[in-house]
Amino acid sequence: MIWNRLSLVCVLTLLFQQMAFAQQASGDFLRSIGHIYVVVAVILIIFLGIVLFLIYLDRKLTKLENQIKENE
Amino acid sequence: MIRQSWWKILAVVILVYTILAGMLIPLKPGIAEVTPRALQAGTEVELTVTGYNSYYSKAKNELRAWLKLKGDVVLKAARIEVLNDRTMKLHFILPQYLPSDSKDDACSLILDSPIDGAIVLPEGIALTQDSVNLLEGKKLWSVDKMEELNAGPKLTFPYRSVLYESIRNQYFHVPLWFAMIFLFLFSVNFSIRYLRTYDPDADQRTLALNRAGFVFGLLGTVTGAIWAKYTWGAFWSWDVKQNMTAVALLIYSAYFILRGAFQDEEKKARLSAVYNIFAFAALIPLLFVIPRMTDSLHPGNGGNPAFGGEDLDNTMRMVFYPAGIGWTLLGFWVASVAYRVEKLQQRLLDA
Amino acid sequence: MNFFAQIGILLRKELVLELRMGYAISGILLYVLSTVFIVYAAFFQGVNSPMLWVTLFWIIMLFASVNAIVKSFVQENGARQLYYYGLLDPLAVIVSKMIYNISLLFFLSLLTWAAMAFIVGNKVEEFSAFLLALFLGSAGFSILFTFVAAISSKADNNSTLLAILSFPLVIPILMTLIKLSVVATGMLEDTGISKDIGILVAIDLVLAGLTLVLYPFLWRD
Repeated sequence: MIWNRLSLVCVLTLLFQQMAFAQQASGDFLRSIGHIYVVVAVILIIFLGIVLFLIYLDRKLTKLENQIKENE
Repeated sequence: MIRQSWWKILAVVILVYTILAGMLIPLKPGIAEVTPRALQAGTEVELTVTGYNSYYSKAKNELRAWLKLKGDVVLKAARIEVLNDRTMKLHFILPQYLPSDSKDDACSLILDSPIDGAIVLPEGIALTQDSVNLLEGKKLWSVDKMEELNAGPKLTFPYRSVLYESIRNQYFHVPLWFAMIFLFLFSVNFSIRYLRTYDPDADQRTLALNRAGFVFGLLGTVTGAIWAKYTWGAFWSWDVKQNMTAVALLIYSAYFILRGAFQDEEKKARLSAVYNIFAFAALIPLLFVIPRMTDSLHPGNGGNPAFGGEDLDNTMRMVFYPAGIGWTLLGFWVASVAYRVEKLQQRLLDA
Repeated sequence: MNFFAQIGILLRKELVLELRMGYAISGILLYVLSTVFIVYAAFFQGVNSPMLWVTLFWIIMLFASVNAIVKSFVQENGARQLYYYGLLDPLAVIVSKMIYNISLLFFLSLLTWAAMAFIVGNKVEEFSAFLLALFLGSAGFSILFTFVAAISSKADNNSTLLAILSFPLVIPILMTLIKLSVVATGMLEDTGISKDIGILVAIDLVLAGLTLVLYPFLWRD
């Protein structure tokens, strides 16, 4: 479990570093084409937020399933 | 309501419509840039216009352009030279005097094309004259008339020079806020029901709704910060609404912390229901009263109702209202899943 | 024993307890004085800013209020609660506590004002407006903190929970108060002062009403 969480954190950190780097390199990516990537970023964040909440529920459910199995 | 799935299908359909319409409908053609911005009376000037979403080449010979001063005084462009769809050069022969009683004035630029429609760049260009002669100026500027402006393409979103395409965030960032309010409202409803009946089920519903509302509030804050960065210049602009949402999130964090402070289930449910009602009441001035009374960068502040006027035209309404419903339904879907997990856990604990 | 008689007796009890345990009230007085002194030493040497004065005044008041009110439920142990429960109307208990705390905080705010005026210098020009702000502020603070203290007294880790639960709730009151007080210092010409007073009165009334409605649910254990 703890390894799962750690690896998730690692992946996210790497991702954000990459994004920060890409932003520095290309000047102002998010401002290009009439700020359309601001919209893309917003949609992406909403998607990721809901997925993270799903992961949280998923793990809770896994725990409950295991409990049910033990009970049986 | 929870087991039935029609409203979940509805949520998906509406959200698909929101995303498709919200992303595919183009922006109204606009003027991205004009140079030079300062003109001298009595000279012949060449303005370079950069358009946004415009089709200048298609409308080549039917293009018209005017400089417009206060009081509907206009000067027509003498010659228009189209370079490509996005750029053209306008030639104006400015008279010696301006119809103005001061040396400096400002004028707006109006373009008209059968394809793009009429486009206005309001008060964007400065005019200067060496000496003032109001009568002569009025006479010189009364030659041209502005008439028969074309209507633009029908299905477009407004063009705003600070927002550009990010005006589409209206369908993704703002509805999160609606979803949050509705989720919290329903959670208060279930808190009241809990205090009436002491039914643990009402408490589980409250908790799930608050969790989902918190997630949506958090997403609203983060997406708002990103949007703010590219329109107002900073992630956090200390705008009233931003501060108030942050406080709302703090209040609901306190709710979750309060729940963690009790071991006894009944006590936990009862006290958190009481705090939930109290907190929502304290939230009302925070969310609705104070932001309306203070100046804010958000539209609809300083006494005006929000979501009206120029920032939300009929095409936007056609997407925005369904978007509000769609995201709210999604919020309730998320809450209902969280509720079922909570319920299952409780049943296992009781067994 | 009717409702008002109960309130009268409870108020007298609070006052007697307060005076008998002299250290509690004198501790808060000392707290106010030393905070004002620290604030002066840290911020005000050679600075003359009414905005800073007002902000720091209300922050000192905020923490003084928390300290003053947290004890109003801490000192009541479970046995005494049970005794009240058999004897009194829960509404009488909470109303008496609210009235007592409002007067305590109003007194405390006057004292803080005096201390600020003595050590830092008085920046207030419109006394009546500032007095009104003090009263509405101490009413709002005491209603909110009394109620939240009642919640947090049911949990074990009291004072931390009180701060966590109440500080987000107090922010709208605090912001309106600061705006009102800045107007009272004459630094800002504001025509919307009656609106701010209206907001504060509305918040105070709503919180007081909810406290009365919800307290009976907290009461039983």
